[in-house]
Amino acid sequence: MSYKYVGKPTPRKEDPKLLTGRAGYIGDVVVPGMLHAAVLRSPHAHARIRSIDASAARALPGVVCVLTGAEALEHIGPMAAFCAEPVPQTAIATEKVRYPGEAVAVVAATDRYIAEDARALIEVDYEVLEPVVDPIAAMGPDAARVHDTLDSNVVFHRSLDFGDVEGDFARSATVVRRTGRWHRMCATPLETAGALASWDPYTGAMTVWSNSNFYNFLPWVFAGILGVPTNRLRLIPCTVGGSFGSKHLIMQVVAIAGALAKATGRPVRYLEDRFDNIAANDNTGPDRHYDAELAFSPEGEMLSLTLKIIDDYGAYFQFAHGQHGNAMAQPTGPYRIGSLRYDVACVLTNKVQQGFFRGAGADPGNFILERLVDAAAEELGIDGAELRRRNFIQPDEFPYKIPTGNVYDSGNYAAVLDRALEIADLKHWKAEQERLRAEGRYLGIGLASCQERTGYNASEWWFLYDNPPLPATSTPESVKLQVDAMGGVLVELGCPLWGNSPETVVSQVIAEEFGIDPAGVAVTYADSTTGAMSAGPGGSRLTIMLSGAARGAARTIRDKMTRIAAHAMEMSPDDVECVDGTFRAKGAPGTSMTMGEVAMRAHLFAHDNPAGESSGLVDTHTYDHPYATPPNADRTDMGAFYPMVSHACHIPIVEVDPETGRVTLLKYYAVNDCGTIMNPPLVEGQIMGGIVQGIGAALMEQYEYRDDGTLGTSSLREYLIPTLNEVPDIVVEHVQTPSPFTEYGVKGAGEGGRLVAPTAIASAVSDALRPLGVFVDELPMTPERIVAAVQAAR
Amino acid sequence: MKPAPFAYLAPRSVDEALAHLAEHGSEARPLAGGQSLVRLMNTRLATPSVLIDINRIGELAAISRENGAVRIGAVARQRACETSPDVRDGVPVFAEAVRQVAHPSVRRRGTAVGSVAFADPSAELPTALLAADGEVVARSSRGERTIAADDFFTGPFTSALAPDELAVALRIPVTAAERTGSAFVEESRRHGELPMCGVAAVVTLDGDGAVAQARIALCGVHRRPIRARDAEAALQSEHPDDELLQAAGALAASAADPVGDCHGSAAFRRHLAAVLTRRALATAISRAEERNA
Amino acid sequence: MPDKIRIAVTVNGTAHDVLVEPRTLLLDFLRDQLALTGAHAGCEQGACGACTVLVDGEPTRACLMFAAQLDGAEVTTVESLAGPDGTLHPVQRAFTENHGLQCGFCTPGMLLAACALLERNPHPEPSDVREALSGNLCRCTGYQNIVRSVVAAGAEV
Repeated sequence: MSYKYVGKPTPRKEDPKLLTGRAGYIGDVVVPGMLHAAVLRSPHAHARIRSIDASAARALPGVVCVLTGAEALEHIGPMAAFCAEPVPQTAIATEKVRYPGEAVAVVAATDRYIAEDARALIEVDYEVLEPVVDPIAAMGPDAARVHDTLDSNVVFHRSLDFGDVEGDFARSATVVRRTGRWHRMCATPLETAGALASWDPYTGAMTVWSNSNFYNFLPWVFAGILGVPTNRLRLIPCTVGGSFGSKHLIMQVVAIAGALAKATGRPVRYLEDRFDNIAANDNTGPDRHYDAELAFSPEGEMLSLTLKIIDDYGAYFQFAHGQHGNAMAQPTGPYRIGSLRYDVACVLTNKVQQGFFRGAGADPGNFILERLVDAAAEELGIDGAELRRRNFIQPDEFPYKIPTGNVYDSGNYAAVLDRALEIADLKHWKAEQERLRAEGRYLGIGLASCQERTGYNASEWWFLYDNPPLPATSTPESVKLQVDAMGGVLVELGCPLWGNSPETVVSQVIAEEFGIDPAGVAVTYADSTTGAMSAGPGGSRLTIMLSGAARGAARTIRDKMTRIAAHAMEMSPDDVECVDGTFRAKGAPGTSMTMGEVAMRAHLFAHDNPAGESSGLVDTHTYDHPYATPPNADRTDMGAFYPMVSHACHIPIVEVDPETGRVTLLKYYAVNDCGTIMNPPLVEGQIMGGIVQGIGAALMEQYEYRDDGTLGTSSLREYLIPTLNEVPDIVVEHVQTPSPFTEYGVKGAGEGGRLVAPTAIASAVSDALRPLGVFVDELPMTPERIVAAVQAAR
Repeated sequence: MKPAPFAYLAPRSVDEALAHLAEHGSEARPLAGGQSLVRLMNTRLATPSVLIDINRIGELAAISRENGAVRIGAVARQRACETSPDVRDGVPVFAEAVRQVAHPSVRRRGTAVGSVAFADPSAELPTALLAADGEVVARSSRGERTIAADDFFTGPFTSALAPDELAVALRIPVTAAERTGSAFVEESRRHGELPMCGVAAVVTLDGDGAVAQARIALCGVHRRPIRARDAEAALQSEHPDDELLQAAGALAASAADPVGDCHGSAAFRRHLAAVLTRRALATAISRAEERNA
Repeated sequence: MPDKIRIAVTVNGTAHDVLVEPRTLLLDFLRDQLALTGAHAGCEQGACGACTVLVDGEPTRACLMFAAQLDGAEVTTVESLAGPDGTLHPVQRAFTENHGLQCGFCTPGMLLAACALLERNPHPEPSDVREALSGNLCRCTGYQNIVRSVVAAGAEV
């Protein structure tokens, strides 16, 4: 299919405001009389709060209000949790703190400086308790309990077999077994989370500006926490300075602003600073211990995969095990693995809790699988690319149902691998590798072939429960399209702007459907009172879902305009088409009407239009997930919950210094298949950005909690993300196997870079240190870990 | 995070600054580049009640070479030290160290004296100063004195400066040109970060190619930058070969008593001390040999 | 509270004669007192560069400087780059043409650091750009397009 605007490098509509300092982030929103909040946080990982004395703080000039956790509960409710287990959480701790940095009191003052002065005057008497830091130890019967409402820190444990795991292992010739360790990381967007709440005590209405998502998906959750009627809450989105999943539902931040707004009767803005964000963002990534086995037939075919996982969830369980639901979309990767055992234990400890961070749990899943494949290649004496090729799902096997029940819609994995091998200049790098080895230097060539599931269904959040508390099955996206009486086109989005390009994407779609210039389409953002159901960005869904919503709205309006134009031109609607923004007789462009002419007629000339047509041209289109099936009752089949599956092959080139553990990336090759590409530079930007986050995951990003439970990585000097200097030249190429399920055949691309790069770089480092007998099975590969591995292998 | 309240003073002369220090003593801190101090003030780990901004004291910005020493004034920017021929040619180990401090944008405001006075045990410039046998020129309303680098650094973020003293300059003896080479090598977790371990080495060879003098300083491996004197002694009068350099590295490592943190454990820093000492010496010696021709 | 400090400072060509509290960071002075919200707080530790503005032409971390230090200084922020009629500065144009931004939070800092570089080195190599911008973090773009943008801006001038 060839399109005029879809697939073209259309200029990015979002840029002008971002380039000129007019972005409108939450920190830019000013409301007259607003107060500023600061949060006092626990220095202890685990402690009972005996008492809090805020008298000196309250007496400080400029301070309007101080709230403890108990006082806040007079105004707001507890945090929402989507888990079935009793793991209660409040925005501000009440009797007990459960992680270092948990909020214990909040201050509202006339400016942030004074709020922090007041914060320093609050005295808290803690009874320090034994911290629960090691998740393995936390599983034991004698471990201190993070929650008294639970019998054990193992809040959830389930093992599921899909297919005949025992049988497949019994008939296997080789079983490759590895452990894997993926450490806790966080999204670290450059902009922290924030909210500005304004409450009207006379109507009970509240307005909240924030950089949260989900205001058009779960607004009632916010209303419940804020203690306002659902129909009196207005959540207004701001431009978001990056989220990567961490700002889906920033309940804590919204609740703190809301509590102070209600307590003071004035607007209150709470903007996390970096210390708040790192310590308490409530959205860290997985923190997993894997014990995994991959069974092979005598011919080197992958038969079965078992994964035994211990996941350190931190102190709370807000999204339950959704990150494992997510991983189960693609645990067997691009391979024809017939059976799977997924055994997961979710353990609570005294750390900040998990949420969703780009990859959302499938990132360590890709890691452990590709490590197993690399290990197998070594053990079986088969080249890694060849072993993968031998086991890929073939192009004629799609749609392909994997053991968990998810479906892969389309793909051509061999084509992606082959292209990657072609562009990676391997002859040159292999020669370099040999030359450097002779000099005692270690160059490595990595390889990873991984899936990127895109377009999630809500069922991934709950299907691991037999009796989920909220078995939701809607993950829609809505767009409102208006054509005004002069023919001007206006689109209102239900989603926020996260740094992706929703304005540009819908403009391209509308442009395609009407044949008009995308630059002429105006785009605005709805708030929670004006938008229809929209789950917003996340799970690499937005291009898919906006394409559906925008195309649906465009078709509705275009069909109506066609009917009205046909009536005006005294033709049958079947004989009228819309081409290049005009409505004309099909094949005979003699008589035609412009968009403006048709629109004016539609708006104001009811008597001249066909009977039954309403005046005006406006449509809100809600596009539901295009392909979803439910899990079965015994959970042997989770249904199709993430069926648009992109794929990539990454080949990083590294040099490793085994004496210092330094890893230098020399070059990076990636071939990506995300189906039909909506806008090539934008897709490339997402892939490169994801790859660099993947470099961070591979080499430097990690939360460190000390033995006493305190947080060792509390600022950007300790939690390190890549700079310009860690990034090599990245070459990105594309293969396009369209999706059969989506509009235009698009798939998602937002998470791909970060889903593949960590394991690809692990592969490269292992390849570099192969002569020294090192195999990487832990991320991040810090200098210290690499040196220890080199020394251990001696 | 926001700093605690303080009074702000902006003296126009050294005497004015010293008068303020005499009045306020340990309640006051001088502000030069601010790249370390303001960061600390923003987290309220430093809460001076008086800030004495010395940036307007023009005479303190000078870099000069006279009487066999390079003098770097308190307000001379790190970037200026990087590009100054006096520093580059006069004390190459210091110039090489400056290039590795943080990022160019930080070096445009940060000062060399400020970094030394801040006395971060992981920082590059205190280490280079120590290896070069430099001194800190300290003035107060009571007079002026010079403090040898080894006496200056007394512990983590602490120096021998009295509360009423201002570090007005560094005075670093010019490194011999003939048969002398230096090197500054470091390992950090990521570009621009403080090193887990850094080594400054200055080696002079004699006419036969044996070591006439070796000076080795390390950061990141103790509560302050240290001189690896045992390693220096082991090199004295010896012809350097791989085995000798390994031994020197091992001796430097045994002088280390690191504090571990999230970037590197104590054991790892000690390991790096050995590796980087060996490498720094190898580079310094090969540079010395180049100047031997 | 300590005495306020009087500063005569020019910001984006406009002279101001104002009183500031000693501890008000330059970043907050610009954002809160002058409503110039283009400079952003990413860390308040000097680690990320999102607060970068030009002080007397030099890229400066506004979170590590006090407004009180500005007497007699000239400050340039991102708001000075585009024309009042919406014409983008060549560097801004290069960024949008080369997809050098996604969420935009780091962008003002990148733009100003780039402008300072181009002022002294009008045709930088990629390695010059990497050096000049190495203290500016970006979490979205992966940096490659930022470098391309600045090189392209140099090629255009």
